[in-house]
Amino acid sequence: MKLSRDGWGGLVALIGSLLLFWGTLGLKDNPLVPIGPGFYPRIVLGITAVLSLWLVLADALAEKQPARSEPLNYPLVALTFAVFGLYVVALPYLGFRIATGLYVAATSALLAPPSGAKSWAGVVLLAVLTAFATHLVFERYLLVLLPRGTWTGF
Amino acid sequence: MFELLGAGIVNILQLKYLAPLFIGTLIGVVGGALPGITITMTVIVVLPFTFGLEPLQGLAAMIGVYVGGETGGLITSCLLGIPGKPSAVATTFDGYPMAKNGEPGRALWLGIWASIFGGLLGAVFLVATTGPLATVALAFGPWEYFSLFVLALSMVAGLVESSLAKGLVSGAIGCVVTVLGNDPVLGQERLTLGIPFLAGGIPFLPVLIGVFAFAQIMSEVERMGGTAKAIEAVDRGVSLAVSHLKVMGEILSRPFLLLWSTFIGLVIGVLPAIGGSAANMLAYDQAKKFSSRPEKFGSGIPEGIIASESSNNANVAGSLVTIMAFGIPGDAVTAVMLGALTIHGIQSGPLFILQNATLAYGMFAAYILAHGLVLLVLLPGVRWMLRIVTIPKAALFPVVVVLCVIGAYALNNTMDNVYVLLVFGLFGYGMVKFGFPLAPFILGVILGDQIEINLVRAIMTDSNPWLFITRPISGGLLAASVISVVAALWQHRRAQRRATGAAQDDADF
Repeated sequence: MKLSRDGWGGLVALIGSLLLFWGTLGLKDNPLVPIGPGFYPRIVLGITAVLSLWLVLADALAEKQPARSEPLNYPLVALTFAVFGLYVVALPYLGFRIATGLYVAATSALLAPPSGAKSWAGVVLLAVLTAFATHLVFERYLLVLLPRGTWTGF
Repeated sequence: MFELLGAGIVNILQLKYLAPLFIGTLIGVVGGALPGITITMTVIVVLPFTFGLEPLQGLAAMIGVYVGGETGGLITSCLLGIPGKPSAVATTFDGYPMAKNGEPGRALWLGIWASIFGGLLGAVFLVATTGPLATVALAFGPWEYFSLFVLALSMVAGLVESSLAKGLVSGAIGCVVTVLGNDPVLGQERLTLGIPFLAGGIPFLPVLIGVFAFAQIMSEVERMGGTAKAIEAVDRGVSLAVSHLKVMGEILSRPFLLLWSTFIGLVIGVLPAIGGSAANMLAYDQAKKFSSRPEKFGSGIPEGIIASESSNNANVAGSLVTIMAFGIPGDAVTAVMLGALTIHGIQSGPLFILQNATLAYGMFAAYILAHGLVLLVLLPGVRWMLRIVTIPKAALFPVVVVLCVIGAYALNNTMDNVYVLLVFGLFGYGMVKFGFPLAPFILGVILGDQIEINLVRAIMTDSNPWLFITRPISGGLLAASVISVVAALWQHRRAQRRATGAAQDDADF
């Protein structure tokens, strides 16, 4: 019995829903109302577990077709997520303008590596413009506050 | 009704509403024309700009994006053979061959005018039915609402193409997201997993932004740096001039095709969370079935363009009906609009049109006027759109992500929502990689709380569970849910049998 991605996806959903279902068993009912806070979550998680089990079983019993694989650049996806993760971590420390400038430059250079001084200048220009234009539009004109950096003070 | 609509139009014609509507339409046309940027992503990008605006200004901008995006997507479909968005895929089948046959202007303007006619016919439906449908919905009790939301989820799960089980699991996971944090009826903490932020529940907007934006951006990123085909250079010298009267005549001389495609778009739009791509394909398929020359479809005939483009613009009107009358998003774009309404403290649903008549009729007016603004943008600017599609994605994607971060952060000025964005960005990409459809998940996230609130209210009013079935409307809606799941199951089985049969036939030869 070999599982394909459907089966694995179903298995992850099954385990997650069962763990959360177990978590609802510790919820205390409120004596003032006929149904407690665990009533609906138990229904939803129970249904999710049953459906996930169906997905796993259907996949396990299905005849597998050979999967067509297209070469995809997963390392680039991982790096793009990693840079975004760093941006999110850096935002409260560096503040919006600096963190955004660094993020835009890093991601842009990652997705299309610059090959000469001109393209590096383009990357820097895009980063600076994005950071300052968004800050100007949102903070000055739309009165939307953006994150301040605890290290930088702005 | 007509007085209110007239007042709405006069209201929207004021510069303070017309300017955001025009800018939204322009951004929508550009976003729609850019392959790899969907209307959902464009409206997500516009969302943070609406926080500092009045509700009608923000909604006008979003409606502009929606209408502009549906029309903009056909530009690259017709001229490059690359759909600007999923709801323009079928437009490519005849638009591109017609352009290659030496009539790029005719292909383009047939699409634009069909979009406008389809959209305006949709406006009639929008204005005429939203109020009466909201009145019907006002008679609903918690039993009917519960059953309506269950129907919405089961229909979406059943209509996804890949697998019914995956659609249902996806919708159920969306509902699971809403049970983390707090009980919406009593406010009691539950399943917070030891994370203090979760005590308040997970706000749906950062979830929606994260799931949709990252699922799409990362799906594009994974094709970068490899053998991905670059957009071919466009012959910018080619003439796009046409006789607009002749093009309009071509469309209006096929009234049945126009009306039927518009009707399909409206019905698909009214059904929750399905979207214009289904409308576009279904209308094209129907046009082919009803045609006296089906063999010509795909060779560059006007019927293919008219059907696909009139339906996807009418789909916008259908989606707006669902959100304004029932508070259920017709698709991802209206889900973002629902978020924008919530931010401004406006409750969508049957009371919306009664309590916010100025806003509701302003939205109708914005929808109607956006079609004129699309023309205003495209008449002088259609050639520019071909330049815009060459913007490198390496420059575009980080800017889009920054706007997503602003959209999440500005909801209540905390980093918590940005962390939610990151987590659900990863989750959304994971769902795509495991082949789970996103639409049922998002609908589950949006409706999960409402399903719980109405279920608990119903039980607290009367503990007899049979009322869900014995009350006629509620029972009818639940029966429709069961029918939709059974029909989807039957349809999936039939498709599987056909696929197996085709594979065996191939093996025989």
